[in-house]
Amino acid sequence: MFVSRQMATIDFALDNLVWLILLVVLVVFSITIPNYFQIGIFANIVEQSTFVGTMAIGLSLIIIAGNIDLSVESTLALAAMVTGLLFATRGAGMGFAFTPEWLVIPISLAVALLVGAAVGATNAFFVVKLQMNAFIVTLASFIWVRGLVVAISGGRSAQSLPDSLRFLAIETVFYVPLIAWISIGGFIAFASILNRMPFGRHIRMIGGNKVATFRAGIKIDRLTTITFIMAGAIAGLAGWLLALRTSGATANLGTGMLFQAFAAVVIGGVSLQGGVGSLSGVYAGVLLLSSINTAINLMGMPAHFTQIIHGGLVLVAMLLDTLKTHIRARMI
Amino acid sequence: MFQPATELMMTTQPLLLLENIRKSFGAIEALRDVSFSVGRGEVVALLGDNGAGKSTLVKMISGGLEPSGGRILFDGEERTFRSPLEAKNAGIETVYQDLSLCTNVDVVANFFMGREITKKVFGIPVLDEKTMAERTAKAISDAGTRIPSLKVNVEHLSGGQRQAIELNRFVYFGGKLVLLDEPFAALGVEQTRRGLEMIRRVSDQGIGVIIITHIMQQAFMVADRIVVLRQGTVAGDVATSKTNLDDVIQMITGENIANLSAYQRKEGLPRTV
Repeated sequence: MFVSRQMATIDFALDNLVWLILLVVLVVFSITIPNYFQIGIFANIVEQSTFVGTMAIGLSLIIIAGNIDLSVESTLALAAMVTGLLFATRGAGMGFAFTPEWLVIPISLAVALLVGAAVGATNAFFVVKLQMNAFIVTLASFIWVRGLVVAISGGRSAQSLPDSLRFLAIETVFYVPLIAWISIGGFIAFASILNRMPFGRHIRMIGGNKVATFRAGIKIDRLTTITFIMAGAIAGLAGWLLALRTSGATANLGTGMLFQAFAAVVIGGVSLQGGVGSLSGVYAGVLLLSSINTAINLMGMPAHFTQIIHGGLVLVAMLLDTLKTHIRARMI
Repeated sequence: MFQPATELMMTTQPLLLLENIRKSFGAIEALRDVSFSVGRGEVVALLGDNGAGKSTLVKMISGGLEPSGGRILFDGEERTFRSPLEAKNAGIETVYQDLSLCTNVDVVANFFMGREITKKVFGIPVLDEKTMAERTAKAISDAGTRIPSLKVNVEHLSGGQRQAIELNRFVYFGGKLVLLDEPFAALGVEQTRRGLEMIRRVSDQGIGVIIITHIMQQAFMVADRIVVLRQGTVAGDVATSKTNLDDVIQMITGENIANLSAYQRKEGLPRTV
């Protein structure tokens, strides 16, 4: 039997293992890869992490609450496409503008969030009200929402968002563009909700033991519904950020991001069983993936190596998860 | 001036009174004319063979089933509990092992599950961890339970410690009647001893306890009264001090003790048919 303080220390180390790994990886890359160690590279890693990272916030909340949402990638694309169609000036864009010009920021953001929330609410309806399996429901959404993206755009792309929106993706603070700061702000806000508010505590407990939370009078259905809507809206935010970054949207925008987000979530220490994980870990997971992508680019390796390495990383992360569970079990 | 009379009434009126409870599922009568009571601070052991109707009765008291006939009086009022939550709000709770705790969060989070204390920070409700930790620590030490750290996840704690958390939580939030369904099924000897001690301490605070068990020795160690169910009726309702193992086994099986084998007698096992 360990002394409790030792136990807490080991718990802390295991929970933050991914930050340690990130640090080691960055040091190794900085030493072995020429030109890796410079502020521009690190800023680029943070910028690259914006979209998968933001999407991973919502995905993490859902998984910690003991559910699953495969639809976030398509939701991201839908929100980006709606933003592009309404406010871009070329291609399929309709170029709606406002006076004063800056009004386009809150309006386009609200539209993107609403689009995401609507998809989330649809998922919640089938999962909570009709008691359908979340995996199947959100897999269906993954497909039909992507179909909707193609349908509303007619397969065309929308280009050239107004400068009043674009500046968020161009202007930097401490070498990092504003959209990346928005994503980091999202991580901090939702980490606070998860750790410090009753809502966060409750969804974590639902993910841990549904029966116990039900018996304690916690409204599981209501909270699950909110979590799905939140995950959708956050995916909408990610889509809005990506539309700003690419100055518009194409019908296949964001393809493959779902698995990167899953990889980040798992690497970040979120258990797919539910109830376990932190958003700080998930952000480290996203940064780790981006660091490796950047290393591959710098070394001039073909891009498909990225996929092989990402796949390997997910396996390593699962292995670590199993190992951690094993260590924790032996601590009793 | 009227105080003594009121007090007398309070003490004579049982906490829980079941009157001629009936429950039928279609043509099957699971319970017939079941009547018994549990007083404040009284520990009642509910015994009976499999299928005697214990589970049905327990569900009726804790709000999973409604009786087909008869009355349930709790705290002097006629009540029917439509859901476990209703029963819980009235002060009745069933403690099942591992069904009422989230092992993925710490002791404090479990203690205040669904009843978190919050403070407003810029108008936003934020968990008041400090207050919750202090109250949990006090409640647990008042009950004489020792848990290494309240900040540790419940998955690291033993079965006995988990049970202690559940019972202390129940007491802290004003519970009046607790039902324990096979509470020591998965516990070791020392943990069981501490668990029995804890039940005594809980009942000393005026809380009624119904303990359902198959292990006769435990019933004799902790219960003030033993109620035996057989084929849906009360086959015996006796003070523990006025009965013995053989009599209780006879009530459970309905057979004369002489018909049981020497082995069954020694082990206190009912005869399996």
